[in-house]
Amino acid sequence: MQVDSSLSGTLRGVHVREDVWIQLVSASAFGRLLNHVIICCIYSGTMSVLDEDSMSPYTQLLSPLFSDLLDSIIVDVASECHRIARLGLDRNLENEEEELRLSAEARAKVADPSISSEANGKYIVDIFGQTHPTVASEVFECMNCGRSIAAGRFAPHLEKCMGKGRKARLKVTRSSTAAQNRYSRGSPVSPYSNSTAMSRLSNGTPGVAGEEYSNGTIEDL
Amino acid sequence: MGTNIGKYIPSRHKNCGVSSGSSPGAEQSKQDCVANEALEIINIKLIESGEKERLMELLRERLVECGWKDEMKSLCRAFIKKKGRNNVTVDDLVHVITPKGRGSIPDSVKAELLQRIRTFLVSSAI
Repeated sequence: MQVDSSLSGTLRGVHVREDVWIQLVSASAFGRLLNHVIICCIYSGTMSVLDEDSMSPYTQLLSPLFSDLLDSIIVDVASECHRIARLGLDRNLENEEEELRLSAEARAKVADPSISSEANGKYIVDIFGQTHPTVASEVFECMNCGRSIAAGRFAPHLEKCMGKGRKARLKVTRSSTAAQNRYSRGSPVSPYSNSTAMSRLSNGTPGVAGEEYSNGTIEDL
Repeated sequence: MGTNIGKYIPSRHKNCGVSSGSSPGAEQSKQDCVANEALEIINIKLIESGEKERLMELLRERLVECGWKDEMKSLCRAFIKKKGRNNVTVDDLVHVITPKGRGSIPDSVKAELLQRIRTFLVSSAI
């Protein structure tokens, strides 16, 4: 057969794996036909880069090989997705529906005027679920006057007690002993009373009356 | 080798048990048998030389780059959401992905891989 001589020629010229060849040679009657086919493949491959001839066994081999590779990769991707699904590792799977539902609810709440909002309700629920009354109810002793004051009313009390308003300044000059004890530096007391006297004069009658009154009390002490 | 699940490797021995006989398709089936055997041998060569693993890595890389893998994963996720997380089998997912997957391979990726395979076939000089 003419093929045989060409075969042996090829064998001599090219380095091949001997074990594979031994396998081929000892194969069935199709063995020689197979070799013939494969040689044809090589020739057709080197002659044209893109061989569109569907009858050429070379092209036939190419496509299944690629399909095999692709199938393996498809199986890998599928098993990876399956694993993630079964182990519950995909947080977004249920989250999307949950978030959609929650956002729809939130929108309904905002749009609905009948449901009381934070401003209206007396009790506000914070992020820990606790409610606090609007006015704090613990009772403290004021360090200035010694009275027991509710915590919620403490700040306004201090304003009056410590010196923002008229009556507070009256208090300071009246109880000078207490003031001296508190402000151990001597000088600040008198300019303070002088300045308050000036402001009192500008105020008018109540200031004069107050001054007289204060003088009276000092004399008493 | 790799993460192949055994039953998904196509069996190629189906047609070769047919006795070469009088049927008109005898010539065609003989060619198929030849092609199958050639395929077997080339497959063995690919695996033994390590080229198959390299080709798979290359293909995986290209498919990730072009977003094909993400498309397939989102198809899977949609199917899983519809069917329920605990009722899905790998088989289902494979059948979901395969038709779309085969069709949506970019031409450049396919051409590159085919070129590599062709080069291997020629260089291994069967």
